[in-house]
Amino acid sequence: MSTKAVESNTDPALIAHLYRRAGFGTTRDQIDQLSEQSYEDIVEFLLDPTPETGVPNDDLTRYLGGEAPHAYLAIWLYRMLNSRNQLQEKMALFWHGVFATGLVKNEHILSSSNQIEMFRRNGMSGMREILMDLAKDPAMIFWLDNNENHLGEPNENWGRELLELFSLGVGNYSEIDIKHASRAFTGWTFAQSPPLYPHGYYAADFLFREDDHDNGEKEFMGHKGNLDGGDIIDIIVEQPACAAFICRHLYNFFVADEPQVPSWNDLDPLDPELIDAMSKAFIDSDGEVKSTLRVMFNSDSFKNARSKKVKSPIEMVAGVLMLTGEHTDFKPGLAKYPQSTTFTMGQILLDPPTVEGWHTGKEWIDGGNLTERINFAVEEFSDGLSPGIKAIIDRIVASGSLETPELFVDSALDVLGPIAVEDSTREALIQFAANTEGEEERSRSIRMLRLIVSTPDFQYA
Amino acid sequence: MARPYGLLRAGFPYLKSLGMRRITNFPVDLALGKEGRIYILNRQEGFVQIRKYTVDDEDQGNFGTVGDGEGELQWPVSIIADSTETLFISDEAHDNISSFNSDGEFLRLFGEQGSAEGQLNRPAGLAFDADENILVVDSKNHRVQKFTKTGKFLSAFGSFGCDDGQFDSPWGITVDELGDIYVADWRNDRVQKFSSNGEFIMMFGKSGSANGEFNRPTDVAVDLDGDIYVCDRGNNRVQQFNAEARYVDKFIGDATLSKTGREYMMTNAAPNRIRDMSVLEPQKRLRQPRSIAIDSEGRLYITDTGSYRIQIYQKEAIHLEPHQFAPPMRSVTLHQE
Repeated sequence: MSTKAVESNTDPALIAHLYRRAGFGTTRDQIDQLSEQSYEDIVEFLLDPTPETGVPNDDLTRYLGGEAPHAYLAIWLYRMLNSRNQLQEKMALFWHGVFATGLVKNEHILSSSNQIEMFRRNGMSGMREILMDLAKDPAMIFWLDNNENHLGEPNENWGRELLELFSLGVGNYSEIDIKHASRAFTGWTFAQSPPLYPHGYYAADFLFREDDHDNGEKEFMGHKGNLDGGDIIDIIVEQPACAAFICRHLYNFFVADEPQVPSWNDLDPLDPELIDAMSKAFIDSDGEVKSTLRVMFNSDSFKNARSKKVKSPIEMVAGVLMLTGEHTDFKPGLAKYPQSTTFTMGQILLDPPTVEGWHTGKEWIDGGNLTERINFAVEEFSDGLSPGIKAIIDRIVASGSLETPELFVDSALDVLGPIAVEDSTREALIQFAANTEGEEERSRSIRMLRLIVSTPDFQYA
Repeated sequence: MARPYGLLRAGFPYLKSLGMRRITNFPVDLALGKEGRIYILNRQEGFVQIRKYTVDDEDQGNFGTVGDGEGELQWPVSIIADSTETLFISDEAHDNISSFNSDGEFLRLFGEQGSAEGQLNRPAGLAFDADENILVVDSKNHRVQKFTKTGKFLSAFGSFGCDDGQFDSPWGITVDELGDIYVADWRNDRVQKFSSNGEFIMMFGKSGSANGEFNRPTDVAVDLDGDIYVCDRGNNRVQQFNAEARYVDKFIGDATLSKTGREYMMTNAAPNRIRDMSVLEPQKRLRQPRSIAIDSEGRLYITDTGSYRIQIYQKEAIHLEPHQFAPPMRSVTLHQE
């Protein structure tokens, strides 16, 4: 764990960093308000979402809605942009990536959407509750075929992935454990929901079929008896490997890009000291995710891990839209971003490519994706009348910073985040500022903003 | 036509359902025309359609285009038909009211974004007064405005708040045969009644799910007997009140398959099997109903938005003369005759 000194708790750059990671971003005006609180208090606020600080459901269902996946995703994106419960939405995205469930298979958008709602509700609760809810979630049951896991005819797909990808990681269980865990989950299925025609989707509900459940003796990780699915999850959560695995996932998502998950059994964590501290919090709190996150966000490692993590497509899109301020109220057009914009960048929410979820870090970016990301950001910053951009330019102009190229660049970087850039980037921006001295200040400012969002530095959170 | 002295409420049975997925996806409002014609307004993300329909579940075509140009719609909320079946549709994204003839040809629009007189901020419910002027629920200006059919501003009432005569994001509106105005005061979870001049008369309802309570009411209708119907969307029901706002009954949905639904199912084997494996009871119920209308024959139309259909109930009530209906009683009684 790094012990490098950090800046004041109310440092705007630190708050911006926290909101880019624990949320989807924020505006400079909001940071000014937040900076009146201590860093630790801001973390606590994020860890404790309430209905009052979220987006009212009645508003969402009044203005948005539809049957298509992008209609559901528009609602989620609206929450990302406008909920003050930023970490709650980010945790829903986190678990969506870990417990990757594909709409492409179930073709039942309501169940996929309900799964995200489940993560929104339980995402910072205890690991036991999270895994139990997951084991009973119809979208997951169908995704990993547990509806085909019958007494005498076990299907091991759910049992295997529960151990390999969702809780322990390769190397921390045996093939025998998989077989017995799978038997313990026989009969965990869902009640048949009505068909799509003629009256649309209906939610599916978990159903335990006693007559299809294997009540025989099982042996799982040293425990013997008539174990059922709940027993299996209890045993999993007690394993130190579970704490380490979940904490490494959290670190990979919030702090710094780790190697891809399949290699975790062979490669040590980037920051074993922080993983150990997080694991201790996880174990001491009986698997509570909130306690684990608290240790992580308050660590110096997190505070110093700035501008090094590649933004996922949805983080890129939501972060830019938060800056432009175009969707602070309900208006048409939001659905296009999860429908097509993130798609061209390589991410379709609700449809991760495999059960492993999305590969993260620099795998988000190839030549084509980078072009899409830059074009998107520049396009969104093309309209100086967007309320967020107008506010940004107002701040730049009001600061008087256009007097010198250096001040101009630093001011623009400050109001866009603050964000940090490489020295070479800053030099290039200063050169642009020098070349445009004397030009009309608002158009000059917007060109500067467009230049900044097209830099490689802006691809990082 | 005078209201009855008394009413023998014989029943209010479910009559039928209209529409299905692909035909009436997300119906949000409807307008009743002549000869059984119904104009059903369907809206979901990126999709707008006005389907011309009949009470016999027959499709007579559709119109509607998503866009920002004249004659195009983005987020339509309410549709009303005047005596010539000219249709007026509010659009809460465009902040205006567009009119179309019954064949769907665009006629004109009025309204623009703003809060000054005649300007609109998320227009929602629409209703005609006795002179066929248009009452517009100007939802985010928390008021009701009256316009001529050509869009000339006439008057307004209401402001933001929760006192009598104030609103919080109101939605639906209706005018009874006496000219009184009823508004579904959405975020205040109540219904308010006003005179034709906008003077406050009464309000009823509060937040909750018990009888007479509301969870974000979206629409209100009044029949020729004076009975008031409230679309209690968040509670997935429609409630019925008498003219004095005393709770009478509720409708939670009793749907059977519509004619079009039956025709579809007869030629699709998999949905029949899946339906046979599932529980039927929830499939009858209302899901997020958005609006209501009642015709002169006592048919109550509920846009069962979440289930892509219209559920219709038939009021059965007999008008009573004074000799058939005792005078009002001062107190409740246990005497049975």
